[in-house]
Amino acid sequence: MSTQTASRSPVARFRGLRFSPRVVRAVDLAGQLAAPIAVVITLIVALFVAPAFYNPTNLKTVGIQIAVLGIVAIGQTLVLLVRSIDLSVSAVLALGAVIVVQTEGGSSIIVPMIEAFAIAAAVGLANGLLVTKRQVPPFIATYGMLVFIQGARMAYTRGQASGTVPELLRAISIAPVGPIPAALVVWLVVNAIVLFFLLSTRYGRWLYAVGGNPPAARYAGIRTDSVVIAAHVLCAVLAMLAGLVLSGYIGYVDLRLGADYNLNSIAAAIVGGTTFTGGRGNLWGTAAGVALLIILLNLVVVIGLPIHWQYAMQGAVLVAATALQGFRQYLLSR
Amino acid sequence: MTTIGTPVTAPPPPRWATLIRNNASILLIYGLILLVAGTAAIMAPNFRTPTNLVNILRQSIILGLIAIGQSMVIMTGGIDMSMAMVARIVALTVATLFLAGGSDPALIVPLVVVGLIVGAAFGLLNGLLITRTHASPFIITFGIASILRGVNLAISTTPIRGIPEEYLLVYDAKIGIVPINVLVMGLLWYLVWLFSTRARTGRALFAVGGSERVARLSAINVDRTLVIAYVFSAVCAALAGLFILSRTGVGDPGTAEGMDFQSVVAVALGGISMYGGKGSLIGTLGGVLLIAMLSNVFNLLQVDIYYQQLLLGLVVLIAVAAYKSPRSA
Repeated sequence: MSTQTASRSPVARFRGLRFSPRVVRAVDLAGQLAAPIAVVITLIVALFVAPAFYNPTNLKTVGIQIAVLGIVAIGQTLVLLVRSIDLSVSAVLALGAVIVVQTEGGSSIIVPMIEAFAIAAAVGLANGLLVTKRQVPPFIATYGMLVFIQGARMAYTRGQASGTVPELLRAISIAPVGPIPAALVVWLVVNAIVLFFLLSTRYGRWLYAVGGNPPAARYAGIRTDSVVIAAHVLCAVLAMLAGLVLSGYIGYVDLRLGADYNLNSIAAAIVGGTTFTGGRGNLWGTAAGVALLIILLNLVVVIGLPIHWQYAMQGAVLVAATALQGFRQYLLSR
Repeated sequence: MTTIGTPVTAPPPPRWATLIRNNASILLIYGLILLVAGTAAIMAPNFRTPTNLVNILRQSIILGLIAIGQSMVIMTGGIDMSMAMVARIVALTVATLFLAGGSDPALIVPLVVVGLIVGAAFGLLNGLLITRTHASPFIITFGIASILRGVNLAISTTPIRGIPEEYLLVYDAKIGIVPINVLVMGLLWYLVWLFSTRARTGRALFAVGGSERVARLSAINVDRTLVIAYVFSAVCAALAGLFILSRTGVGDPGTAEGMDFQSVVAVALGGISMYGGKGSLIGTLGGVLLIAMLSNVFNLLQVDIYYQQLLLGLVVLIAVAAYKSPRSA
């Protein structure tokens, strides 16, 4: 990909503008802190523009939405860290809901849950294998997977999903835990586990190494393919978990369920400082990115704009964030 | 000049063998087309009627226009995921203006120009964002597509009427049983193929896709070449939007849904490397024809729409897995 060529000719580098170290540092810092700062500003602006945002019912909705997108975005961050991307998360998310809800009917929920996670792991494995062993560009492999899974789901449900959501799913989504919904607790727990994983385990450090410089990581004895595949499997499994939480919240299974989670999870990770060239990014940033995106999308509704401006909103956030991170990566890599 | 110790070199392979090896993906795709056509001709008798065959060609025009543009961008190592939404905004804008102008046939030429300019403007936006910020083309165009999706819904959520009768001739006009647009499309494929193989800018697209650094050292203006590619793809998308408008006869808010992905599939099937720099438009033409033929056959055989999507996804996964495209050219 054109942007991944780290080595540019010295002549071309200094064609035109020359950036001082101060500018480089400022852009780097902006890339890292954009999300938290924007969240604070948005919350303050909301206080004046849309006080209805702070209505407890609305806050609860926002909380659950943050949790669902947050879980997906954690997986997406892992995948982005190793220079890949996963566009099949939305399909996996919706698939999970369909599996669990359809197989319900008096029988135990445990078996369908195991099935769901096994399928997710298989999807992640397939993505990872395509990306590493066949060297398919990640977005094409995972987009093909998206179309395939959606087709499989549609063929299975004949376009009309039905059924009721098992109690267990409600318990991990809307059931209150103290003042906050259970979904947020699930999100925090997943965050804590993955954070520990990233910072304090060998595999976590490998992720950064492989993303930062794949050949160097390979020379250091890391089996880079396995690391990338594992990231894809984790991402798909987290998407599945998010799907279960989401269906517990929505209460029934809608076929458009989860359609926007691809774009939003990527946008959240990138706003939060993850670069699409790998090796840079962390979960704090992603969490802030998720909060920013969900709050903005919610404000579109609270202010009373037509719902389709949400598309424009998430697109604008994605383009702005990508431009900023792309420029940051460009400056840092010179 | 064989001396002791020098390994005996194998005789060079015959010319035809080299020719086949160099064009394996193109031969494969056209072989597949023949296979599908042969099977379909046996299984569905109404497939081999001349009317149906011409119909397939006409049905392939929309995907063809988008795939031509997509090929040019993918040759540079980029991708344009905003093409469907650019096609849609052009269709909706032109339809809205037709309605505002009271469906006056005199408006056709100016509005086609307006449509192309609107398309080119979004291409320029994509190109500038990608070259100035060094961001990932995929994510930038994906984001632009999302913005345009919202804007399109704001323009209209219901079909816009008011297209003049004369404009529908773009889709309907025929010489004998062959629609004129099929002939024009054939000419366009030929011209763009000439451009990509003969013209300096066309070769520059390949050079940039092969190695940006080498292209730059060869005094190719990389940024300008990239911007040209994105403007070209957006203009192709605009043409597709204008063509869809004449086909449906209304400004349809569902215009070109899913077309960007199908175009990427067509390009991938045709053997253009997703990392850029390698491939040919002839392959893309094969990919487009195969997809158009498959969907025609599915319809003739009355395959369930849901299974069609499943099969499409499967075809893609197999295709991309089959063409191993190593990063190093």
